[in-house]
Amino acid sequence: MISDRMTSNLKQTFKESFLPKIGLVLLLAIILMAIFAPLLATHDPTRTGHYADTGSPYPPMGHSYETQIAQDGDIVDIEVHPTSEHILGTNNVGQDVFSRFVYGARVSLLVALLGTALALVIGVPVGLVAGYYGGRIDDTLMRSADIMLAFPGLVLAMALVGVFGSTPIQVPDPIVMAGFAEGMPESIPIPGSVTVVAGLVIWVWFARVARGEALSLRNQEYVKASKSFGMPNRRILTKHILPNSLTPIIVLATIQVAAVILLEASLAYLGFSGTTLSWGYEIERGQDLLRTRPWISMFPGVGIMLTVIAVNLLGDWFRDALDPNIEGDERGV
Amino acid sequence: MSETILEIDDLSTQFFTSEGKVNAVHGFDLELERGEVFGIVGESGSGKSVTALSLMDLVESPGRITSGSVGYRNPSFAENMRTSYPDAVDGDLVDLRAIPEDARRSLRGTAFSMIFQDPESSFNPSLTVGEQIAEAVEVQQRATAMPRSGRAKTRGPEYSLGSYLMSMALPSKRYVTESSRARAIELLETVGIPDPAQRADEYPHEYSGGMLQRAMIAQALASEPDVLIADEPTTALDVTIQAQILDLLNELQAETGMTILLITHNLGVVARMCDRVGVMYAGEIVERGTLEDVFDDTVHPYTKGLLGSVPDLEGTADRLQAISGNVPSLLDHEMGDRCYFADRCPKAMDTCLEKPRSFDVDADGRHSVTCYLAEENYDPDRALEEGRFASEGAVSDVGGDSQ
Repeated sequence: MISDRMTSNLKQTFKESFLPKIGLVLLLAIILMAIFAPLLATHDPTRTGHYADTGSPYPPMGHSYETQIAQDGDIVDIEVHPTSEHILGTNNVGQDVFSRFVYGARVSLLVALLGTALALVIGVPVGLVAGYYGGRIDDTLMRSADIMLAFPGLVLAMALVGVFGSTPIQVPDPIVMAGFAEGMPESIPIPGSVTVVAGLVIWVWFARVARGEALSLRNQEYVKASKSFGMPNRRILTKHILPNSLTPIIVLATIQVAAVILLEASLAYLGFSGTTLSWGYEIERGQDLLRTRPWISMFPGVGIMLTVIAVNLLGDWFRDALDPNIEGDERGV
Repeated sequence: MSETILEIDDLSTQFFTSEGKVNAVHGFDLELERGEVFGIVGESGSGKSVTALSLMDLVESPGRITSGSVGYRNPSFAENMRTSYPDAVDGDLVDLRAIPEDARRSLRGTAFSMIFQDPESSFNPSLTVGEQIAEAVEVQQRATAMPRSGRAKTRGPEYSLGSYLMSMALPSKRYVTESSRARAIELLETVGIPDPAQRADEYPHEYSGGMLQRAMIAQALASEPDVLIADEPTTALDVTIQAQILDLLNELQAETGMTILLITHNLGVVARMCDRVGVMYAGEIVERGTLEDVFDDTVHPYTKGLLGSVPDLEGTADRLQAISGNVPSLLDHEMGDRCYFADRCPKAMDTCLEKPRSFDVDADGRHSVTCYLAEENYDPDRALEEGRFASEGAVSDVGGDSQ
């Protein structure tokens, strides 16, 4: 499926143009940040603003945060502006925004990439088979896809989370366990069910795009010619249909990565995600304070934006390199 | 008369459209002899291409082969089919319409192969030409490794999903073997591609039209077919290249002894290539015979019309005699039961309102015509009046010449 020509084209396009390099550097940086989060974080991301005397994470009854800050020297961590201690400030329960930004990349990236990958694995074969064979196979597969489409994505996701449960899988953090990072959470919450749900909600779009491609490709003369010398259908699907339908699928995948980050954010906001340590959740958390404390939701927002841009730049690179119709000068402009 | 390899009887292919049934091919009879070149000529919309696709079983929805039999003579194939489908086998002859689709399709490539009209679109633009030909070789090699009976019942392990995924992941399990590739280069050399080892790694857009047509012939030959169906192999090429391609086909035919069914609208191509020729009109063969029979001893007015519409280099330059009118509607309910050419025929008589059967012109039965003129002479007194069919308004071009 991945021919020598594809790899050589990918290399050439990469060399010739600047944007794929930015995309790759950005995405690598974000991925590295996610992996080495415990080393980069300055505070425990889950520790809320502490009160030295009471030990309670919440301000005393009858006091708003601001008055507490003004009147009580003990309340140090709530909603502070960026300082040298908290370089991106703290949020409304006194958690360090930078540390949460670094840790949030883990959840958001994991869900987005794995969820999209799952959707690709389900949707593309279904769509290609439906479009290529047509007839009853097409009807059966695509009508079941339509059932998925009949529900709004978020509602379907919530229903599915209800089925699968939303408890995240707690995986021990190897970096913390190895003793490289003191005072960081010992386990990583991986929202497994949210990942699966994201894949189940968006595979339909891949199926529809793949079907459309297969539908037009199967009428190509070269498919007919391949049939005429006895090439098996399964082989035609992987040799002719799949590679030639990759371009729109890749473009769609880059869009869907962003969509899954947002879907995860919505689920987290509604309390369906099982983890509160994700970019999406942080955005929703800071939404009420946007006017007075913009940093709370701004930085996770920037994180999502950079990820989406990086993925899109890579998607453009794939498209330029893999599409045989884009030649020479048009490439990588 | 040598033995026949293909006996097609009463083959009909219909397209089920919203306007009604379209009889693209109906009541098509043909016997192909082993090693001959048979030409089918006819104007656009006469059902030539659909005939070719029907033989390959490549007709796509809304089209369907509705009746008829396609007998294929091959002793070993007949032997394999005899136990499972005794009804379909008659001596060495297997009726391909009476065996299941899987078994029929296993013959693609190994028994029948096809050259298409437009070489440019018949290659995948994103794969090298060599790769695509090697693919065809691979099909043949797998077919020989696995006897046809086995293929007919179940797909062999080579086609299982597991080995399939393996072939994508592991280079050592590549689907197309090195030997297939080497054979592909050999084939490219056979069809006259210069520097084949290097050209094999080039993409279709780096080839000229003529070279691509040669490459397509190589692809069709890869599986060493018994019958090669060439659907307008030279139409998309310019004239000098046309001659080269036809010569190449002639050479290869002489070398391999394969049977060629050549479909064209070009009478010059037929005259150059064919041993026998069938003239097709409105989905059926109206006149057939040897080249001399049909070209020199023409009976059917339609054949005369076709021959009259070819410019003559030596003769005096009169206006060309075009056949008036259009191909008739092939819609089932509009076709009626008469000679379909009657409305355009300069010699239509009252008898033509009834559908003529096939008449033999000669005693040896090799020249036959679907026209009453084979038996009686034209009588102007019995002529149909002008515009007899005009009121029916049935003249619309709905033929499925190309899909």
